[in-house]
Amino acid sequence: MSNAIEREQTAASGETLVDVQELKTYYGGDGFFASPPVKAVDTVDFEIQRGETFGLVGESGCGKSTLGRTLVQLEQATEGSVSFDGTDITELSGPELKQWRRNAQMVFQDPESSLNDRMTVGEIIREPLDAHDWKTKADRRERVTELLSEVGLREEHYFRYPHQFSGGQRQRVGIARALALEPEFVVLDEPVSALDVSVQAKIITLLEDLQAEFDLTYLFIAHDLSVVRHICDRVAVMYLGKIMEIGDTEELYENPQNPYTQALLSAIPRPDPSVTIDRITLPGTPPSPRDPPQGCQFSTRCPAKIRPEAYADTDDEIWHAVEQLREVVRERSRMSLSTTDQLRKRLDRFSRFDDIEETVTDLFGELSVPQSVEDHVRHAVELVKDGEPKAAQTYLREEFGGVCDTTRPGHHQVSAAGRESYCHRHLDEYEDTTTVLANYVDGA
Amino acid sequence: MARSTADTTNESFRHDSSTLTERIAANPEPALRWAGVAAVLLLLELGAFLGGVLTLFHAAVLGVTALLEVSLGAVSSGLGEAAFGFQTDALASISGVRDAAQSIPTLLSRETISNQGHMVGPNGPWTGTFLGLEPAYAWGIRVVLVLVYAFVTAYWLFRGWLVFRNHYRQADWTPTDDIINRLRDHRWGQFGIAVLVVFLTLALFGPALGPTTVQQNIKSPYAEESQIEYFSDDTGSVETVFAGKANFDSKSKGPNQNVGPMTYDDYGRFHPFGTLPNGRDLFTFMMGGARISLIVTGLAIGLASFIAGALGLISAFYGGTTDLAVLTTADGITSVPRLLLLVMLSAVFANHWLGSVLDGGFLLALIFGFTGWPLLWRAVRGPALQVAQEEWVDAAESFGQRPTLIMWKHMFPYVMGYLLVYASMSAGGIVVSLSALSFIGNGLGITAPTPAWGRAVSLGQSYVAGPSWHIALIPGLMIVILVMGLNAFGDGLRDAIDPETKGSDDGDELAAGGGA
Ligand code: SF4
Repeated sequence: MSNAIEREQTAASGETLVDVQELKTYYGGDGFFASPPVKAVDTVDFEIQRGETFGLVGESGCGKSTLGRTLVQLEQATEGSVSFDGTDITELSGPELKQWRRNAQMVFQDPESSLNDRMTVGEIIREPLDAHDWKTKADRRERVTELLSEVGLREEHYFRYPHQFSGGQRQRVGIARALALEPEFVVLDEPVSALDVSVQAKIITLLEDLQAEFDLTYLFIAHDLSVVRHICDRVAVMYLGKIMEIGDTEELYENPQNPYTQALLSAIPRPDPSVTIDRITLPGTPPSPRDPPQGCQFSTRCPAKIRPEAYADTDDEIWHAVEQLREVVRERSRMSLSTTDQLRKRLDRFSRFDDIEETVTDLFGELSVPQSVEDHVRHAVELVKDGEPKAAQTYLREEFGGVCDTTRPGHHQVSAAGRESYCHRHLDEYEDTTTVLANYVDGA
Repeated sequence: MARSTADTTNESFRHDSSTLTERIAANPEPALRWAGVAAVLLLLELGAFLGGVLTLFHAAVLGVTALLEVSLGAVSSGLGEAAFGFQTDALASISGVRDAAQSIPTLLSRETISNQGHMVGPNGPWTGTFLGLEPAYAWGIRVVLVLVYAFVTAYWLFRGWLVFRNHYRQADWTPTDDIINRLRDHRWGQFGIAVLVVFLTLALFGPALGPTTVQQNIKSPYAEESQIEYFSDDTGSVETVFAGKANFDSKSKGPNQNVGPMTYDDYGRFHPFGTLPNGRDLFTFMMGGARISLIVTGLAIGLASFIAGALGLISAFYGGTTDLAVLTTADGITSVPRLLLLVMLSAVFANHWLGSVLDGGFLLALIFGFTGWPLLWRAVRGPALQVAQEEWVDAAESFGQRPTLIMWKHMFPYVMGYLLVYASMSAGGIVVSLSALSFIGNGLGITAPTPAWGRAVSLGQSYVAGPSWHIALIPGLMIVILVMGLNAFGDGLRDAIDPETKGSDDGDELAAGGGA
């Protein structure tokens, strides 16, 4: 999708339609032998205005889809509330929930999987009407034909099967089904990411037209940042179940404040090649949402992470090596030990993690490491070799961890328009993110 | 593949508010042509069809009321009695209707083309047989006609679907078309279908196929109406004798006394498969056995599939604890040895009338059904879990569709194929187990003297190496062919449903900012 197209402003009314408060959605963890729950959405607050398009972006696995599914009650919220027009929908059940479902529908990501291949297109679109006993049978058929033409398909497609359609056409069927019950709110879960680039623009235009025609409110979930910029009024950036930055789209794209948003945006090609923003490459992979960091969710990868007072003057390269060692130890602590290894550990014969020495040599070998750092590194390495990577992880965090490692940041207002960012750097005592990142890029 | 792009305009599209009846009314000719032939086919054998259907209905009513009576009787004996009373009345009226239906003359009946007659002199001619033919030929003609009739009818049913598809269906193409088309190219699968048609014919037309009847030859050979006429060489005239007496002189017991396949006994009776050691006609015995075997197998596999399908869908849809509960139950059931259970239950119900329904077959069907589902459940659970992950299931949930309908409309069609495949394959196992039980005998299996395949094998066991080899070998071969046919049908179905899993090409997400 070309991002040169100017974003059309949809009419947000200033009236709140969806109000999400302290929302948590966890998976699993309820069985007797279950591992800790996956914290897919971990305390999220935001509002969606009636008539606006609200974007939700982030890497895959950040919890954006789960959040969207929670808003249409496909997923049960673990804690917190979602009020829709003043009603807390997480409390609804039975007939009330079914009645409410008419108001909120969803368009799914994969048009291959979102339509039942054994039903005709007509049956698929009619099913929501049937489920709610909408008017008479003839009226329903009439409505389906109407919807078909609304989404740019033809009447005679009624008796075709999804198999006979292209991806774009299937997605149109999915949209028609979502609109059948005349909902106010539609969650669009990456509605174009599975489609050819040439088709994406058409579907986006269709969605915009339908929004204008039926006064729809959209939650647009995407990992493609340029599509979001084009269609969304406001946007929230998610990482590991948490909203990192939330605010007006244009402002956020022009002047991102959160380190994660900055990294994310640095990766997309700019329309204007003369403005060169260096790409910020994030190290490693996101940690498991079963075991998120104790402090800021982004702290294991953040290029702007705040160092503790004591190490403020340590050489950058040495500090970098320490951070990498912590990442390695973190990975180790995720591995589960076999029974034999458990036994060896008991007998003090454990040796599976001895290769940590090599890692340390690779990381620190060339550097002149100050004694203060060296001692702590050695201690941690011994712990790992004894088969206690968890203890080593804690030890390293206590020694080298700064405020980012230990304390969850708050949401700070970062613009006059009310944009918020989740980062300690917005506190007065710390250096501003942009400056730090500029140095970081220079140094890299 | 009848895949076409949706952009081509479709001439046959009619605006759709019409119902099937309206569509037929608008263009009645193909439907009428089909229905005409179908009516002729039905009329030819109306009595037999009604008789067959009513026999099944009789068994079903008996089974259901039996269960009712047992369960209500456990609550209060009054209710049990009431159920029993109802049952007796219902069964009596069904039998009445059935007897009336069976007395309707049919073209291919044993009366119309009779093979039971006798010679008037030492060298013929025959009297009482069809056109005065030798019994072997009369019987042969009847069997061939019945089989031809069965295949024509089966084809005509399929033809009916084709007529519907070509003239009355609103969709040009449906996913079923592909499955049928693939099955049309699948020789092995077609062999399976043919075997099934043959065995169903044996079960349904059994009485018309045998050279004599189960009643006359096996169940009550000394009854007043079980007397037969024959030309006696000794007296030089036509004599009358009880079938039982004739059987006594027609035993197959190795070298000294044997009536082999395709031969006559001393009473001018033709035995296509020879006789049993007790002189009864093996072919008639096998036909009777086919009926009971197929009914019991069908009931058992139907029950098992129903439980397995329902629980498979439920455990996949709800997952978690529900799935675990079903899993535990399934494991519990499979851990009890089936033979032990059969022996125990047969003993418990030995004198209860439930044990006598379908000559003990009903109880067997229940046991096989309730112990057989875990296997099928395991086979469908995987596909069910997979389809439960599809987004269309979420979609249906998101607009508030009822869970039962979600399972039925959005999951079952994808699981049904697997269920059919595995059901047809395990049906073979049930056939073998049933025969094995009858083979063991001793109160297990179908109660004697009702024919059961396994008993024939067991009876013939000691004569395998000798002139009476036919007693064990022919029933054994028939079991093998039926099991093979069931497997072939399952194979064909599987290939038709799932030709080759097409590779999925989910592009990797472009993780923005993910770095290298
Ligand atoms: S709080 Fe620390 S780790 Fe988190 S984004 Fe801000 S600087 Fe990075």
